[in-house]
Formats: sequence, structure tokens, C-alpha cells
Amino acid sequence: MASQERITVHNLADLKNTSDDAIPNYLNSLKFKQVHTLVDTRLALGYSAFLIAGACFLWDYKLGFEETKYYTAAAVALYTVLNGILTFWIGFVEKGTVYQGTAPDGSKISVSTSTKKNVPIYNVKVTVTPKKGEPQTIELARSFTEWFDAQGHFIALPFQTMLATTVPLVGKADPKRAAVATPDFMNTDSEVLDALLAAQPTGADSTDADAGAGKKSKRRKA
Amino acid sequence: MLSSLQNPRQAAAQLLNFALILSTAFMMWKGLSVIADSPSPIVVVLSGSMEPAFQRGDLLFLWNRNLLAETSVGEVVVYNVRGKDIPIVHRVVRKFGEGDAARLLTKGDNNAADDTELYARGQDYLARRDIIGSVVGYVPFVGYVTIMLSEHPWLKTVMLGIMGLLVVLQRE
Repeated sequence: MASQERITVHNLADLKNTSDDAIPNYLNSLKFKQVHTLVDTRLALGYSAFLIAGACFLWDYKLGFEETKYYTAAAVALYTVLNGILTFWIGFVEKGTVYQGTAPDGSKISVSTSTKKNVPIYNVKVTVTPKKGEPQTIELARSFTEWFDAQGHFIALPFQTMLATTVPLVGKADPKRAAVATPDFMNTDSEVLDALLAAQPTGADSTDADAGAGKKSKRRKA
Repeated sequence: MLSSLQNPRQAAAQLLNFALILSTAFMMWKGLSVIADSPSPIVVVLSGSMEPAFQRGDLLFLWNRNLLAETSVGEVVVYNVRGKDIPIVHRVVRKFGEGDAARLLTKGDNNAADDTELYARGQDYLARRDIIGSVVGYVPFVGYVTIMLSEHPWLKTVMLGIMGLLVVLQRE
């Protein structure tokens, strides 16, 4: 399932963005229901600020500075406030959240990711809130080399396996991935991986995999 | 870049980043305008008429509020001639009257005669409202880029070409 698109492996932003995009793809494919509140709020804040600036430009352009300067002053103040809230929202509310959603069993899941400058490590923080009970936080830090090959192809299998084996909620929704013993992907090329993926256990033996998943998913990798 | 178009939220977020860069730059300029109470709080000197005080290309910061004292003789002001939209930087050399009724005459330090020739037809003096600000600070020479660009239009083509090339080379 190596995607056709290639990224520059030396570009940390590319690595992170591609991986970030893969998380909603994967979780939504497992019948998780994504919640977009965070990004929608950000877009609403940002675009209202932009509209104010646009309106300010228009009346300044049409009517001149002197006639409109009190409106302009108000617009500048409002723009500053909205931008301040936006900065606060991105920095203290979103905090790198790339996915929020509800699992098929009703538990809530929130995934945030981060990287440190010039360190090719993907830090993932998963918070799972069961329907009843305390929120549980799982943190992992993995090298991007685990799911990008030397040519810069993103390889879904090891990436999804990482999430399925470390997060019990994901493992429960995707027992196939959770049961996979991680082979040495570093020296395998994408064709082989695609073949591996095609050869994944199908519905017939999924009961076995389920049993294995229970044990495997307890294991945490730091 | 293209793949993000499949996801409308992501496309909207990327567009927003670009939009906010533009609008923030614009609002900072407008904020400065509001604070200085001037439609154009930063201007570039276009002529040598104020030499040796200001050379062509100097960047001037304007202040258009009379908080402590009225605009008076000796100040370097920027004014717009009625009907023309070219700001001129000259010094106030005469002042008659007070407040809004004051009549001001300006002259370039490097010019032989005062500005009556420059004013609009039938205008013999400036009113306070013609002035868009008094010079309160300057940065030498940095505005010369804008003079180069307006005097040699082919430079704009060259600059656009270089920027286009960078975009192509950087892939993003």
C-alpha cells in the first residue's frame, strides 16, 4: 500500500505532515467517527479575522483614510483580538492535535503529534477516554525510518501496526494489525511490503488474531 | 499540495495561512496609520529637494497628531497637493494664524524658492489638513528599492522571474 507520492526524506515537515495525514485516514477506516471541532473553530477564527481585514481594505480603498479612521481603528483592535485568540487556540488548545474522534465502542480518542527541530523522531500522544472511567494517556516516540523507506515512500503497514499494537482501543478495532509481529521493515522494499499486506489474515482466522490482540495490545513501547 | 485538495478542511487551513500573512501585514500598516493618525505613516523620499537633511531613498516615519504642540515653523512635514496624489517632504518656513485656520508655507531646504509654484492652481498656502504628518524619524537609504523599481520597470520583471524560479526550485 505504498503511496505513489514520494516525499523528501530529509524534510522533517514533510515526514510529519505525511504521517499526520495518515492517522485520520487509518482511524476513519476503522469506523472511528472523526470530530472536527478543533479545526473548525480555528478556521472560523482565522477567516473572521481575514474578513475583517478585507472589509477594512475595501472601505479604506473606497472612502479614504480620514472618513473611515475610527472604523479602521476598531477593525485593527478586533483583528488583534481575534488573532490573539487564534494563537492561543493553536498553542494551548489544539497543541498539535491531529485527530479527535469516537471509537465504535463509544470511547473518545484524541491524538496529538510533535517533532523536535532536526530530530527525526515522531512523538505521538494518544489520550483515550472510555465511556466510563478515567482518561488514559499513551505516549510513544518512534523514528520516522520505521515507516518511510529510503526513497521517501510512506508505508502504511508498519505505521498502522505501531498504532494498533500500542493503543489498545485501536488494536481492538483492528485486530489484524494488532496481531502482526513486526518484521524487519528496514530492509524490505515496498513491493514486498505490499505483498505482505495482501497476505494478511482474512476474516477466517480473525478470531485467533483477536485472542492474540488482547495480550499484545497490553504491551507498550516507549 | 495537490493531495490536500481532497480534504476541504486541510485546503481551507492552508489557504488561511497564506491569507493571514497578507491580512496581518495589512492590519499592521493600518494599525500604524491609526496610531500616527496619518494615511501613510511611512514614506520614501523621492527627490533631493531636502538635501542635506534627507537623501533620495530615505525612509521617513510620520506623526500626524498635535498632542503637545501645533505644527510650527521649522518642522519637516509631508503634504499632499490638492488634486495630486504625490506626497512632498518639505520644511515649514512661515506660519500665520493658529489651529485649523493656520496658513502654512513650505520650502525645500535645497530649493531656491518656496513651494507656491508647487501648490495647486489658486492655492497660495497649506492648511493643517493638507499635511499628512511631521517627520519624527528616518532610516537612510533603505527605501531606495522602491525608487529603483518604479524608475526601472524591467527590474520588476527580473524580481518576479527570480521569485518564480525560487518557487519552482523549492517545490512548495
